[in-house]
Amino acid sequence: MKVLIKALAATALSTASMAAVAHATDLRVTVWTGSAPQLAMFNSFAEGFKKTHPDVNIKFQTIPAADYTQKLTFQLAGGNVPDLGWIMEDAAPAFEQAGLLMNLTPTLKNTEGYDLSDLAKPAMGLWETNGEIYAIPFSTSPFMIYFNKTLFDKAGLKTPLQLAENGQWTMEKWRQDAKALKDKTGVWGFEFKDGEGYDSRILHAMMPPIRAYGGYAWKKDDCGFDKPKAVAAMTVLHDMVYKDKSIVPPGVQGDFFSGNAAMTINQISRVPNLADAKFDWGIAPLPSGPAGEAPVIGQAGFAVFKQGKHPQLAAEFLAYMTNKKNSEIMDKYFPPARKSVVDGKQFVEGNSAIKPAQMKYVAQAIASGRVLPSNVNIPQIRAALKPTMDAFWKPDSDPKKAMSAVCTAIGQFL
Amino acid sequence: MTRRTRQAVYRTCWILALSAVAIPFVFPFLWMISSGFKSANEIFGQPNLIPSVWHWENFAEIFRYQPFARQYFNSIYIAIVVTLLVLVFSSLAGYALARIRFAGSALLMLFLLSALMVPEEVTIIPNFFLFKWLGLMDTHVPLIVLPVFGSHGIMATFLMRQYFLALPKEIEEAATMDGLSRFGIWMRIALPMSRPALAAVAIITFLFSWNLFLEPLVFVNSLNLFTLPLALSNFTDPYGLPLWHLQLAATSLAVIPILLVYIIAQRQIIESFAMSGVKG
Amino acid sequence: MTTHAAGRQPVRGFRAPRLSLKYRAAIEGWLFVSPMLAGFVIFFVGPLVGVALYSLTKWNLLTQQSTFIGLANYADALTKNPDFWLVIRNTAIFAAGLVPLNMALALCLALALARPRFGAVFFRTVFFAPVVTSAVAWAIVWKFLLQGQGGAINELLATIGIAGPNWLREPNWAMAAVIVTRVLKMVGLNMILYIAALQAVPRDYEEAARLEGASSWQIFRMVTWPLLGPTTLVIMVITTIGSFKVFDHIYLMTGGGPENGTLVLAFYIYQQAFKFFDVGYASALAMIMFVMVFILTLLQLFLARRNSK
Repeated sequence: MKVLIKALAATALSTASMAAVAHATDLRVTVWTGSAPQLAMFNSFAEGFKKTHPDVNIKFQTIPAADYTQKLTFQLAGGNVPDLGWIMEDAAPAFEQAGLLMNLTPTLKNTEGYDLSDLAKPAMGLWETNGEIYAIPFSTSPFMIYFNKTLFDKAGLKTPLQLAENGQWTMEKWRQDAKALKDKTGVWGFEFKDGEGYDSRILHAMMPPIRAYGGYAWKKDDCGFDKPKAVAAMTVLHDMVYKDKSIVPPGVQGDFFSGNAAMTINQISRVPNLADAKFDWGIAPLPSGPAGEAPVIGQAGFAVFKQGKHPQLAAEFLAYMTNKKNSEIMDKYFPPARKSVVDGKQFVEGNSAIKPAQMKYVAQAIASGRVLPSNVNIPQIRAALKPTMDAFWKPDSDPKKAMSAVCTAIGQFL
Repeated sequence: MTRRTRQAVYRTCWILALSAVAIPFVFPFLWMISSGFKSANEIFGQPNLIPSVWHWENFAEIFRYQPFARQYFNSIYIAIVVTLLVLVFSSLAGYALARIRFAGSALLMLFLLSALMVPEEVTIIPNFFLFKWLGLMDTHVPLIVLPVFGSHGIMATFLMRQYFLALPKEIEEAATMDGLSRFGIWMRIALPMSRPALAAVAIITFLFSWNLFLEPLVFVNSLNLFTLPLALSNFTDPYGLPLWHLQLAATSLAVIPILLVYIIAQRQIIESFAMSGVKG
Repeated sequence: MTTHAAGRQPVRGFRAPRLSLKYRAAIEGWLFVSPMLAGFVIFFVGPLVGVALYSLTKWNLLTQQSTFIGLANYADALTKNPDFWLVIRNTAIFAAGLVPLNMALALCLALALARPRFGAVFFRTVFFAPVVTSAVAWAIVWKFLLQGQGGAINELLATIGIAGPNWLREPNWAMAAVIVTRVLKMVGLNMILYIAALQAVPRDYEEAARLEGASSWQIFRMVTWPLLGPTTLVIMVITTIGSFKVFDHIYLMTGGGPENGTLVLAFYIYQQAFKFFDVGYASALAMIMFVMVFILTLLQLFLARRNSK
C-alpha cells in the first residue's frame, strides 16, 4: 500500500513539475544600446541562462538613450512593464524612491558564487539604500583626460600621461598647458565633455575641478557650490575661458575628435570615435588639485522592476549576467564594479584600443573614484542649474556672486 | 533700352534677388544631405557642403542597423491613411460649416476652434490611458486616429471652410436647382473646385503625420512598428550619443516622399490656376 | 423653370410630408460634420476633460500616486512660482515676433511666386525645403552658423564692420535668433496656403484694374488683399496658435536658455510633465495656455469682423 501511495505521489509530483516546465516564460529587458555586437553579447548571456532555465526566453528591447527614462516611465505607467532594464544614474534615486525597483539583495546572497563583497563599495553608492541593493551598476566608467599627442608634440610639451607618471599632472600644469597649446598651435586647449559643458553636461564640467579643490556639490541639503573651495575651482575655469581663452567658450564648436581641441574629458566608451583619427592620442587620469586626486565616475545600472510578471526569475537572470565570468566578458564595453575583474590582468591588458599603461589609470580610477552627486530631484536641480550657470558663463560675471545665485536656485530642491 | 532687354534685366534681377533670399533656406537642407555622406567626425569639422570622402556605405549601414525599410514603410502608409482620412472628413465638415446654415453651427465652430489651442503634450496622457484601456498600445491605431481627429484635423477643417467660403456660390446654386443633393454638390462641384486647398491640406497633413514624434514615442514599443522619427533618433552609439552620419543619411532618405507629395500637390495648385484663368 | 436631373421624377400619389428647409439643413449639416466631430469628441474632448481633472491633482507619473489638491496647481503657477511669469513673457514675445514676420514673408514670397514664371516652381520648392528638413538638422546647422566666433553670420557681419553678438548665449539675441530661424523653417507652409488662395483671385479683376490705370500696389491693396481676407484670418489664427505650441525647435536650439531666456510655455509644460513627472501641474499649465490662446483667438476673430464691416 505504502509503495502505491509513494508511486502515486511521485507521478503527481513529476506531472506537476512537467506542467510547470512546459509553460514557457518570456522576459523582456530594456536597454539603450542598439549596437549589434553588444546585443549579440547580451543574447549570448540569455542562451547561457537557458542551460539552467530551459524554458525562459529573454528578449532585449532597445529604447533610444535620449528618451530612455521617459519611455521607460511610459511603459511602467502604461502597464507594459518590462521585467528588467537599464537605469540611468540620474534616474536611479527617483526610481528607487518611487518603489519601482526590486530589492535584489536576497537573490544575490542566495546565488552561488556571486560574491557580493566583490562589488566595490564606492561604485554601489547610487544603487543601494540602507544596505539593500536595488540595481547593479553594469557600467562604472571613470572620466579620463583625452589628449591629442600630435598637438602636444607640436607645442613642445610633455603629454599628460608622462606628467602623470611623474606625479606632475596637476591642475596648475593643466591650465598652463592648455594656454600654451592655444597660443602655440592656435587650437583650443580643452573642450568640456561632448562639447556640452554649458548645456547638458554642466555637472560633468564642474565636478572634477571642484572635487580636486576639495569642494563638493551638495551634502544632503547643504549646497557646496558657494563655498570657498568650489568657488576657487570655478574661478580657475572661468579665467581659463575668458582670460586665457584656452577652453572652448560657450556657443563655439571645438570638437576634440575632429582635432579642434587639444584635450577633452570623457569616458573610455568614446575611444571607438578615434578609430580614424588623423592624430596620435592617449588618455590620462584627471589632473590632481590642492586636495589631491579626485577621480570621477559615471555609471549606469541594471534593475529588476517590481511590477513585472516574474521578478524573482528576472532577478536570477540579473545575478547570472553580472556574475564574475560574465562581468569579464562585458568589461570590454562596460567597466564592471567588480574589484576582481578591474584589478585583473585581462581588464588592463585585454583592451585592444587602449594601451595597458593607460588602462591602469582607468582601473585605479574605478577603484577610488566617486560618482557624480545625485538627488531625488536631480531633474529639477539640473533645470535650476542651467540658467544660473548661464549667468556664470559670461565674460564679466563675478564667480563668487554667480555661485551664490546657483545655491539660491537649487537650495529648495536639496 | 529695348523692351526685350528690359525684360531680361528684370528677370535677371528677380532671379538674383530670389537666389540671395533662398540661401538661408536651402543651405541647411543641402548640408543635411551632404552630411549623410560624411564620416561622423567630419560632420562637426567645418560646415562644408562637399564631403572630403564620400562614404556611400552610410546608406547601406542604416538598413543593417535596424529594420529601417520596414520603419520607412510604416511612416509612408500611416501618412497616406491619415492624409486620405483628413481630406475626406475635413472637406465634409468644412463644407458644412461654410455652406450649410444649420442650428448650432456657430457654437460648434467655436468648440472645434478650441481644439487647436491645447498642445498635444498634454492631451497625450489621457489618450495614453484611453488606448491602454482599449488594448491598442503598441499598434499604429493611435498614430492614425490622433492626427485625424485632433487639432490637425480641425485645422484642416477650417482651412477647407475658408476656401469653400471664397468659392463663387452661383455654380452650387445652379446645381441645387438642377436637383443635385447636398452630398452630390459637395462631391461633384465643391471638391473639384477646391483642388488647390485640397492639395495644400494634403501636403501639410502628410508632413504632419510624417514628422510625428511624441505619439510614436508614447504608444509604440516594438522596433518593427517604429515610424521614421523614432527610427532616426535610434541611430545612437552604445552610450546614447547620436551617430550623426547615419542619422543624417537616414534623414535625407526620409525627405524623399515628402518632396514627392509636395511636387504632386504643387502641380495641382498650378493646374487649378490655369483652369481658373481660362474660366475667367 | 423646371428641369429634370437624371433619373428624378416628380413625386405622384402619396406625398411624403416635406421636411422644412431648416430641418433638412440641420440634418445634412450635422451628418457632414459627424465623422470629424465623433472622433474629435472621443479623442480630444474626453482627454481635455481628463486634463482639466488632472490639473486639480498632484499626480506623479513615476509613482502613479495622485491626490486631489483643488486649485493649488493654479495658485502655484500664478502666484508662487517665479518662473511662470517669465515663461508667459517669453511666450508672448516669441509669438509677437514670429507671427507678423512669418505672415509678411509668406505673403511676399507667395506674391512673387504665385504666377507661373520662369523659375517659379524651382524657387517654390527651394523655399519649401526647410519645412521638409529635419528639425534636428536645421538646429545643428544654425547653431553652427550662429557661433559667436567663427560662425558664418558673424563672419559676414564682420566684413561690413559689425561685431555680431554671441547669438545663442545672450538672452535677447537668442530669442531673436530662435524666432528668425523658426520663421525661415516654417514660412514655406504659409507661402503655399497664400499661393493657393491667390489662385482663387480671378485674374480678370486684376486685369480690369490694370486697364483702368491702377499701379501694382493699388491693385494689391484694392483687389488682392481684400480677397485674401478669409485666408489671412485663418493663417493668422493658425500661426498664432502654432507659435504657442512650438517645442522641438526651442528644445534643439537653446534648450530654453540662455538664462531661461527662451523658455516658452510649450517647453515648460513638456519639462514639467516628462522630466519632472508632475502631471498635475503640467495639466494646469496646459489649461492656462488653453485659456490664453482662446482669448487671443476670440480677439483676432472679433477684430477681423470689425474690420470687414
